[in-house]
This record gives sequence, C-alpha cells and structure tokens, in this order.
Amino acid sequence: MVADKFSRWATIFLVCGVFANAQAVGRPRGVSLEKASFYVGTEFKCLSNGKTIPMEHVNDDYCDCEDGSDEPGTSACSNGLFYCENKPYKGSYIMSTRVNDGICDCCDGSDEYDGTISCENTCEKLFAEIRAQQEAFRKKQEEGYKVKLDYIQHGHRVKDEKRTRLSELVKNKAALVEELDNLRAIKDEAEIPEKEAKDKHEEAWKAVKEELQKQRDAVAAAQAFAKLDVNQDNVVDFPELMKHMEFDIDSDGTVSEDEAREYLEDSEQTDLATFTEKIWPNIKEIFKLKSPEDEQVGQQGEAAEDAPSDDGELPSESAEAPEAAQQLDGSIDPDAITEGGAETATLDEMDGRFDDEDDEDEEEDDYPEDDEDDNDLDVLNDNDKLDVREQRKKHKPEDNEEKMPEYSEETKLLIQAADEARKHYDEADENVRTVEKEITGIEKYLEMDLGPQEEFSALKGQCFEFTDREYTYKFCPFDKTSQKPKGGGIETNLGVWGHWYGPEEDKYDSQKYENGQGCWNGPNRSCHVNFHCGAENVLTAASEPSRCEYQFDFTTPARCSEPEPVPLHQVHEEL
Amino acid sequence: MRGFCLLLAVLFCTCLGVHRENFRTCDQSGFCKRHRSLQPGNSDYVVQASSLRLSKTSLMVDVLNTKSDVRFLLQVYGLQHGIFRVKLVEAEPIRQRYEIPIGVTLVAEPEQAELVYHGEVSGQLKFSLGDNQMVINTNPLRIDFLINNEPVSSLNAQGLLKFEHTQEKKGWFSSRVSSLFSFVSQPFRAKKEETEEGVEGEEGAVQEDEKPSDDERDAGMWEETFKGFTDSKPNGPTSVGVDIAFPGFRYVYGIPEHADSFALKTTKSTDPYRMYNLDVFEYELYNPMALYGHIPFMVAHNDKHTVGVFFQNAAEGWIDIQSNIADKSVFSNLADFVTGNNDVPQTDTHWFFEDGIIDIFVLLGPGPKDVFKQYASLTGNTPLPPLWAIAYHQCRWNYNDQDDVRTVDQTMDKFDIPFDVIWLDIEHTDGKKYFTWDGSRFGDSVEMLRNLSSKGRKLVTIVDPHLKRDDNYETYTDARNQGLLVKNKDGHDFDGWCWPGSSSWPDFLDPKVREWWADQFSLEKYKGSANNLYVWNDMNEPSVFNSPEITFPKDVRHLSGVENREVHNIYGMLVHQATWDGLLKRSNYKERPFVLTRAFFAGSQRSGAVWTGDNMGEWSHLKMTVPMMLSLNLAGIHFSGADIGGFFRNPDSQLIARWYQAAIFQPFFRAHAHIDTKRREPYLLPEDHMIIARDAIKKRYSYLPYWYQLFYESETTGMPPMRSLWMEFPSEANIFEKDDEFMTGSAILVKPVTEEGQTSVSVYFPGKDVVWYDIDTYERYVGQEERTVEAPLSKLPAFQKGGTIVPRKMRGRRSASLTHNDPITLIVCLDKNGKADGQVYVDDYHSYEYRQGSYALSHLSFHNFKLENNLVHLGKDFSTKEWVERVIVVGVNTEPKNIHLIDADHNKVDLSHSYDSQTKVLTIRKPGVNVAQKWIINLH
Repeated sequence: MVADKFSRWATIFLVCGVFANAQAVGRPRGVSLEKASFYVGTEFKCLSNGKTIPMEHVNDDYCDCEDGSDEPGTSACSNGLFYCENKPYKGSYIMSTRVNDGICDCCDGSDEYDGTISCENTCEKLFAEIRAQQEAFRKKQEEGYKVKLDYIQHGHRVKDEKRTRLSELVKNKAALVEELDNLRAIKDEAEIPEKEAKDKHEEAWKAVKEELQKQRDAVAAAQAFAKLDVNQDNVVDFPELMKHMEFDIDSDGTVSEDEAREYLEDSEQTDLATFTEKIWPNIKEIFKLKSPEDEQVGQQGEAAEDAPSDDGELPSESAEAPEAAQQLDGSIDPDAITEGGAETATLDEMDGRFDDEDDEDEEEDDYPEDDEDDNDLDVLNDNDKLDVREQRKKHKPEDNEEKMPEYSEETKLLIQAADEARKHYDEADENVRTVEKEITGIEKYLEMDLGPQEEFSALKGQCFEFTDREYTYKFCPFDKTSQKPKGGGIETNLGVWGHWYGPEEDKYDSQKYENGQGCWNGPNRSCHVNFHCGAENVLTAASEPSRCEYQFDFTTPARCSEPEPVPLHQVHEEL
Repeated sequence: MRGFCLLLAVLFCTCLGVHRENFRTCDQSGFCKRHRSLQPGNSDYVVQASSLRLSKTSLMVDVLNTKSDVRFLLQVYGLQHGIFRVKLVEAEPIRQRYEIPIGVTLVAEPEQAELVYHGEVSGQLKFSLGDNQMVINTNPLRIDFLINNEPVSSLNAQGLLKFEHTQEKKGWFSSRVSSLFSFVSQPFRAKKEETEEGVEGEEGAVQEDEKPSDDERDAGMWEETFKGFTDSKPNGPTSVGVDIAFPGFRYVYGIPEHADSFALKTTKSTDPYRMYNLDVFEYELYNPMALYGHIPFMVAHNDKHTVGVFFQNAAEGWIDIQSNIADKSVFSNLADFVTGNNDVPQTDTHWFFEDGIIDIFVLLGPGPKDVFKQYASLTGNTPLPPLWAIAYHQCRWNYNDQDDVRTVDQTMDKFDIPFDVIWLDIEHTDGKKYFTWDGSRFGDSVEMLRNLSSKGRKLVTIVDPHLKRDDNYETYTDARNQGLLVKNKDGHDFDGWCWPGSSSWPDFLDPKVREWWADQFSLEKYKGSANNLYVWNDMNEPSVFNSPEITFPKDVRHLSGVENREVHNIYGMLVHQATWDGLLKRSNYKERPFVLTRAFFAGSQRSGAVWTGDNMGEWSHLKMTVPMMLSLNLAGIHFSGADIGGFFRNPDSQLIARWYQAAIFQPFFRAHAHIDTKRREPYLLPEDHMIIARDAIKKRYSYLPYWYQLFYESETTGMPPMRSLWMEFPSEANIFEKDDEFMTGSAILVKPVTEEGQTSVSVYFPGKDVVWYDIDTYERYVGQEERTVEAPLSKLPAFQKGGTIVPRKMRGRRSASLTHNDPITLIVCLDKNGKADGQVYVDDYHSYEYRQGSYALSHLSFHNFKLENNLVHLGKDFSTKEWVERVIVVGVNTEPKNIHLIDADHNKVDLSHSYDSQTKVLTIRKPGVNVAQKWIINLH
C-alpha cells in the first residue's frame, strides 16, 4: 500500500535521519560548545544523575535521561534544552519541546529540521533590531543618567538642607520651650490674685442673688396663695386645690381628694406661712397662676405650658438676648453677648466656648450644626429646622437673668494684668507648636526612602499625566494616583502613596499606591507604578489589567543606571 | 458568561446569590398548579378499541375524555433499536398545536420497525417490538412497556393524564351575560371575579361545596400576571401532562440542567424539577430550579435494565418525582424491616408542559450503552471536535485589547503552559454590537488572529443573539428591514434590554432567519475575522433584562405566528445551530466548526459544546461540576464543561489548582472569570500552585489522543465520554447514587478532590475482579473496595482500569495543533488474566475528511505476552507520521527476557526495555512503528 510505504519511509527518516544530521555539525544537534565535551565517546552519562546510556541513544528521538540531557536535539524529552547556534552570532537555548513543532524559534531556523517547514535565517535582521534597541536604550540611559546625577545632587542637597534646618529648629525649640516655661510661671503668678478678687466679688453677688430669689419666691407664693384661696379665708384647703387641674396626679381628668391632700402634705388646710415654706416649693413647677378660665386666653399667646410658672411674670428679653447672639453657623458673636450681659461676666463664658474644653451639654446646644443630628436636620424642611432650633433655645438653661455688678477697679486691674500674662504665654505656646510641626515634617521627609542615592527626591511634589481615549491619569510620586474622565468629571482616587513594590533584589523597580476609592462590589482601588529608565519624566501608559487594580508605566532618569561601554560580542548574548 | 444582574444590581441587589423572586415557583405558575394538584386515581381517558387502525409499524386509535367528551388520537410507532414513540394529539383541534419540525430536535424522521399486534385480551391491546412488549389498557388508558415480559415503564398508571384541549375564549357578550347572571344570583361572586383578574384560577379550592362558575374556572387561564408583568395568553389553557412510572427502579437520572445530584431526588417536599431556559444569576446548588438549558430526557437504571424516556416538547415543563422507597418515612422503613415487607422499588414521575402535544419516546435499552445509542438515533450525535477544541481554552471577561491578548499568548509560552484558544467576551465589540470590533482596542484584529495562528492557536469571539437597536448597526437594520425579528404580542418588533441596551432578537425559529444568520459569519460579512476565529453564543435562553423571568415574555410572537410559550426551550438551540451552520458555510463545509452555547435543548449536541454557565469560584461548585456534567453527558450533551476556577468570586490558588486537576478528565476544558475578579491566568498563581496547574494542563494534553478517541466513540456510538460508575458497572447496585467519582471513557476512574485542605480521599473502586492502577505511580488497587488514597495538592486521584490500553502523547508542545505528528505512548494496564484492549484513532484532526474514510482506526490487544495492533480501518489516501514511541505495560509479574517487534513487512526487530519489579511496570523502548500499520510486539 502506498500509504504504508510512505509512513515507513517517514519513520525511518525520523529514526535514522536525526542522528546522521547531528553528526554533520561535529557535535550532537542542540548541544552548545561548552557542553560538547559531555557528548563524546561510546557512552553518555545523563548530566544530572549519572545514568549511563549508549552514545547512539543520544538524540535518537527517545528520552532516556530524566533531566532530558540525552535529547538536546529532539523534542523527545519534555524538559530538555536545545541550543540554537544562531551563526554568525552567539547562540541561545530554547525548550527542546519546541524542536520540530512547525514554528521557527531559533533565528537561524536550526530547531526545525524535519522538513515540515523551512525557516529563514533571520539572525542578521534580529541582531540589527536588537542592536538598534540596545543603542536606543543606551542613548536614553546616557541622557537619563546625566539627569540622574543632578537628581542625586539635588536629593542630597535637599536632605542636607533639611538636616541643617532640623538641627537649627531643635536648638530654637529648646530656647522657645524655656521661654514658654518662664511665661507660664508669670501667668500662673498673675492668676492667683485675679482669682481671689473675682471669687470674692462673685460670692458676694451670689448671696445677694439668693436673697433676691427668696423674696421673689415669697411674692410668688403669696400670689398663688391668693389665687388658690378662692373664699379668701386666708386658709387654703383641699377643696380649693381640687379646682386646679395641675394637681391631677394620675391624669384621670379630675383632682381627687387624695390628690389634693397629697399636695397639702396630708393636712386639711394651710396658712400662708406654711404654704410659702413647705407647699410652694413642691408645687411651683406645676402650678398655673391663671385659673382654668384664663388659660384658654393664655394659650393663644406665649407657649405658657412650656414656661416654668415662676417665669410667668419675668421679662423674657433677658433670656432671649444671649441666644440672639448665637449665629446659625454655631459661632458666638461676642458683641451680641456683651450687649446682653455684663462684659466681664461673659468673658469667661466666651473663653470656655472658644476653647474646645466645653462640656458636652454645652457643645450640643451651642453647635447644633456640627453634631450628628445634623443629618436628621437635613431631611427636614427649613421650617422644621427652625422649629427644632426654637425648641432647643427654650431648653437652654438661663442663669444670667440678673446682672452681676461690675468688678471693682482694683479687681479689673488684676484681671488686666492676668490677661496680659496669658496673651504672652499663648503666643509663646504657638511658637513652640510651629517649630514642632516643622520638625515633624522634616523628620518625616528624612525617613522617606527616596532611593539609594536620593535620586527620586526630584520627583517629589511633581505630578505627571497620561491621557488615553477615555481618561486622563495623574501620577504624583510619593503622593497619589488618580484618574479623571477626559470629557471632564469627578477625579477618582486610584490610591495614595504606599511603598516601594519592586522585588527584593530590585526594590526601586515599582511603587504601590493603595486605599484609593472603593469599587462597587470590589476592593479599594490601587495602583502599581512601574519605573523605567528614560531621559525625561513621562507617564507613558496606564491600564486596568484587573478590575480596580491599575498599572502605570513611568519613565524617569532616576531609574537609569550608569551605562557601561558594551563590547560588540556581548550584544550577542542577548539573542 | 454572566447573568443579567450586573445592570439591575447597580439599582437594587447586593448580589449575594440567586434572586429566587425573579423566577416563578410552581405556585406562581397556573398550569403547574393545575397539574400538580391532580390526585392519582381513575383516568377520564378511555381508548376506543373499535377504532384501532394498524399499519406494519404503527397503530392509531381514538381516545375519549369521558368527562369533557373531547376526542383524541393516540398514535404509537415502533422504531428501530427498540424504541416506542407514543403520540397523543387532539382529534379535532380548533387551532394547530405546535409540533417540533424534523431536523430541530430529531435529527431525521426516525426509522420505523415492525410492530406486531397480538390482539385484544380482556380490554388490553398487546403488541411486540423485537424483544419488547407494549400493552395498552383501554379503560382507562394506560400503556405498559415490558422488556422480555418484565414491566419497566408505564404511562398514565396513576391517571394523571391531562390534555387541555384547544378552546375559544368566550366572547365579550357571552362572558358579560354570564357574569351578569352570576351577579344577579350570587352578588359576592361577581365581585370576586373583578379582583381575581390575572390571578390564577382556584379550580380546586372553590370546588368544595359547589360547582364553580365558568368565570372562576377561567380566571387565570386566559391571563396571568407575575411580578407586574401580564401574560396575555390569547389561546387560554393549553397544557399537557402525564405520569410515567418506572416499576422496579429506585433511581432516575437526567433532565438536565439542574444544579443538583446526579441521581434525581424526590420532589415531594420541593418544587418539581423545572425545565424553562433561563439566565439565572449566581445560581444555587441542590435545588430543582431551572437553569440555562433543558433536555426532557430521563433514564431509569437498576441492576438489570436501563430504560429512557424522551418527552419531545419545547414548552416550559415541570417534572415531579416520587419514589416509594425514598419517600418512605424512617418509621415505615423500620416497619418494613420488622415485618419483612420487601417492596419492589418504584419511581413515579409526572411530566407537564405548558403547550404542545404529548410525544413520548420510550427507549427500552436494555443496557446503558443501548439507551445512549437509542437516544443518539433520535436526536443525533456529538460530532467529533477538532483536536484543538478539546485542548485548553483560556478565557476571561475580558481580555482588554490586542496587547493584552499578545501578552497572555507570550506569557503562557514563557511559563511553558500549553494552550490552544484565547477568548474575547462582549467588551471586544463596538458597543456590544456583535460582528464588530472596538477599533481602539482591536484595531487590527486580523493581525492578532494571524499572530495566534502562527502558533496553531485560535480565537473565539462572543456573538449573542440580541441585536442593538441602532440605525447605524447594519446587522440590526438588515434584520429589521427584512422582517426577521421576533415580534411582541401586538405585532411590532419586540424591544427588550440586554447588554447593548434596547435590543431586538432575530427569529431563529424561522429557517430563512437561520440562513441569514449563518451568512453573517462569512469573512466578507464578519469584518476583521479570519478562519481561525470561532464563536461563542451566550445569553441565548434568551436573556432579556427587563422582562418577566429575565427572558422573552411568553406571548411574544415568532414569524410563523406561534408564541414563544410553545417553543421557548428550542430558541437557544437554534441560535447555536445557525451559528454552527455559519462556520460550516465559511469553510465551504470542509472544516469542523466550534461553537459554545449556554442555552441548549435535546439535539444541541449536534452543534458543539455547552458549558454550565455562570458558576462560582467556590469548592461546592467544583464538587457540583461532576453531577452536572454526568447529567449532561447522559442526555447527549457530551462536549460539556464548567468554567475552571468558577466564574464569579475570587477563588484562592488552591481551589484553582484543584479545579484544573478535576477538569483534566472533563470534556470541555476552559478557564473563565468575571470582569470584576482578579486576573487569574495560570501563570499568575504563586509558583507552587502555578506548577500544579501547569502539570494539570500538560496532563490533559498528554491524554488528548485518548480524549480524541472518546469523542470518536461518541460520534459513532452515542456513548458519552464522561460516565457515571454505573454506566460502566451496571449491575453494582451500591454505586447507583455515586456522583463524586466518574469514569472518563471505560478506562479512567477519577475522584477529584473537592474539599479545601484535603490531602487524602476515600475512593471506591468498582468492579468485581477488576484491578486498577494509579495513573502516576501505577500503584495497584482491586475492585469493590473502598480505599484511602493520598492526594497532596499536586495529586489528582485517577486510575486506569486493568484490561485497557490508553494512548498518550508525552511531548509537551505549546498547543495541540503542534502535536499532530508527535509519537504516542501506549499505557497497557493488564487485567487479572494478563489481557488488555484498546483503540487508537487518528485523522487530520481538523477537517471532515474523516467522514470520507480518511482516518486510521486500529484495535490494540494484549494477550499471551503479545501486543497486537490490528487495523480496523485505514483510509485509502490516509497516512500519518504518528509512531509508537514507548509502550508501558503495567501488571507484568515477571520480567521478559527479550522483546521483539514484527512489523508490517514481517521484519523482526529486537527492542530494549526496562522493568521495575516493585511496581511490575515494563517499559518497552521505542518500537518506532507507525500507528497506522499492523504490527506485533512479542514478550519472551
């Protein structure tokens, strides 16, 4: 059969032809000159385990050695290496599985010899290409390296300057701290007599205020007594109390005898003195001065229900005035306050509010816009917001309805002196802080890894852009990466400076920017920036190989190493 | 590729799993409820024996529904290979019911065989077909099938037959009058009717104390709503259903595609298994929900018989399964044990479809191989794929641009990881307009294709059936202008949402549309394509994002006037077939096409590969690949696979490595990943895992000659390449439920590792007197034993059966296309008697020349210390360079003294060898003979 004969012939060619062909080149096919010495004699030892096979089993298209070393010129071993001669240039290895597979892998075509295809020798062309590439790279490297030297100088200079500045600052700081300590002592000194004088004045005022309050209470009690004492017998008894719905403890709509007696402290009746002393303090919060008939009229006016009964006759302006000073943005208008109360009385209050040491209650009342409820407010309409504010105002405790008399001239002088001392102290404190801040900044900079020779220092503070058909990408070294739609729109943070990301042996090969904007149903965006040598700083490519994981390519002189003169034969190695 | 959720997800979902509420339950489906509520009992259907008409191969007889007085026609045909075909249609339908044309599911008009009538005995009509019998019980209608007089299957034994005959909707006048009447007589009922509109009829519920009025019975039958979508149902209730019993059978299999165990479960406490092609986002495991494709083919198997039932119906279907054993309570099983009651197992199934006719093929085996052959004789075979198509496919949604493709191609080579095909998902197109390229990313696709082709590699691009409604998109305007698009119920081009936004769908039901579609794949039409570009059809259920159940509304119209309701499940298959035809035409019918599809139906095997859709990168999904693929293989979809690594989520490298291993012995071998996942090309794995994945891929390549031969066997015999244990060991009752092990062909047993951190597995070795050999170490195991096998991460437990010969190619090429001339290694594993058999099939690996006989098939047999290669077939003009490089004989107890070859010309050649007395493995060095020749190797 024709087919049979053809196949037989093909097999014989494969089996015998291979070896014959190999002989022609002086050493077995696929063996490099360096290894040629292993392939002589009548026996061959597998290179890794020393197993011995007859020399005619080398390159006979059957794999005998586990390491594949007996078949360098055929595809019989799946782990062998084939040496491409690549004449007239220097050779290279390919996997022996690529021998006679119908694809020209060696530039000299020596890997395809079974006649299935014929390969052109492209070594010359390839060599020319590679040399051109290397030339171009070399040129780039040279140019880049020149710039890099400047960068290095610049980097060292910056660091030196920073270090100098740092030691200056450390010295300055010591002096400033000393000054601060002195000023603190002066301030503390001045505050002692100030406090004494103020305390004395305030305690006196407190006594006066208490007496005033007591008098007011007596008046109010008398008024209430008169109101309750319907039959004007100068005695209030429980039937009289039963007419006032305020005393309906169980809210069942009527004031029972028991409920009335309860308020009378279990007596049948009471006279004014006992009323003022014992009963009035218990009922003043609930008692309504107006009778039920009057009440209807009253409700149309002020919100009487909310107001404490003893406020009924007090002027409301004094309560409202300080509130008017409170701006919508939560700040306090000092002028407004001074108008509402004594100048000296509000200064402390102001201090307290401008410092951040306010207690929480106060903060909530004074800065409604800043607290968490703010979000709730946003969903209400403007009218609702106003209502909420009104309510808050009403609940604000009022304590400055009485004006404290001014301090004495003597005390005022003491306060003035203390204020002066405080001012100096605060200024000195600010100076120390400014210096500390600068020191921290410099220390942070000095800790930063800007390359083995500070060559990346020049990139700090700069940004570079790359635009593809959809986005403009931005790279600010040691700061952040971002992207923005070309047609305008919101910039997306692709990650902030994380760390150098190159492999151990070449750490400065790339950088990682992390914790960018979160992805829907995915991780936070991050960006991997590959650094390449180039004559200029250029962001050359940006892509998103995996969802939300970006990759930038950046060329910079800072990555260029010193070019070495390359002799021609070394170029061959690259083939 | 992926579910619809991406779009909707942005709006609503947190995407934690399947959105069950998007899909109907049986309770939300009118006809499902109507059929499911039927109770077993006497059937209303009676055979009118006097009307019996006989031909040599068939019978025809009238059947009367005694309740409705509607007449039906029962036809039974005897078919070749031992198949009965039972058709029940309305005798006088007022509207033609849809019947699937020949060439869609059935490959051709089935060949008939002699049906012998043995007369009527006490109301039973008796027939025989070869060794099989059929008995038609006339009153009520019941049809029993027997193998050698042993009953194996029975239709309507439970009396659940229900054929909703065609009827006219009552006119406006009559319906108003009747409702007025009922309003007068029973005011509250009329009121109820108003609110009930669109709600499914409560036929059973209102029946209790009075007969329901017509209106009540009609409610929901003429209109249904689901999730705010109204189904207009102009033809009213049209469903058909019947019960099919399998006496003597505890287990039934098949009816893919469900993410469930291989042996089907009783549905007593769940919904029935649903069959309605749907795009289900992040599908759940172990439940009967419908998935992307369906095949109404079920196989029952016991230790004596294997029988199959194919219910040819393209409408939505549901199947209830009950088993007298499985459904028994623990208590009654205990009672049986005590009383010694030994029930004959029986599985009762109940099938119902929303439309169409009853057209059932009963395949009477009697063995697994016979059933597969019978099924293939009806719906066709899986054509032998080109060799590269069964090699490794590298896919991802999406490879971003030409550079990306080049980089993957080069990096795979750099890491010495073989692959044959790289895939491009939807992002490669210009605005999701298929047949176009995004010019900024794939500006020179032809060059890209040429680069791939230079290493024998191929490109697959995605082509989905939805066409963007864009006046500048020629494919769409052409289809629109020629009137080729599916219509909505009002007769306008249906407009739905898919990837490109507003889209329309060609009507693949229409042969002229399929022809038009096929023409789109010519190199002139599909600009930027080339002969090494192949195709992937996704979203062809079809997936319609803004439609009920994410697919066509049931009342959309096809050009022939039929509703999608009648044909839904074949739409996707016809997309696939038309694409296949396109690639055939492109090569002038010379080259074997490759088309992957997600949606499928019975017959899809004729147009190539199917994958299990959008699975998840989780261990449970790796485990599920085995039962799902066994079901697909059983139902004729032989060229099937699951996304390696899992489509959704970020699997860790251990899971990826294990998945590559498991897939070595599964038919379609493709890695794929969702666009939101991290890149996971195998070279990106940590080195130790990369090596494991690479070894797995290389192992797959080494077994390609075996795989190729299995696909040849599939085309010629209908035997699936991936098999359950019982298909190979049919009488071993303890393995009928086993679906964590499988066989690849008849030679390789595989137990994939599917648990995290597992380093050993328990393997059951089937077969009395069978020996098994580890494929890596040749360690020996014996049959009918459960053994613990070490399985460190680098190891896939797989075993070759003693008595088989498996061909491999060991040369580690970059792609399968480069291995055509490579020599083979024969792995001869001897059985207990020192014998083994096997085959080698070779052809040109890509064209249809083999169909003209241009191939070589040889039968290898080892016996009496002699390995013989005998040619079964050698094409007249066929030759191959493939030769035998090595023969490994496993289970040789004593080392032979010498070995020689006798070649075709009777030359005697001494061969050298090595022998390992520990493992009993003999390696014969380099016989050097061509595989397409006769030769003998003698051991002395």
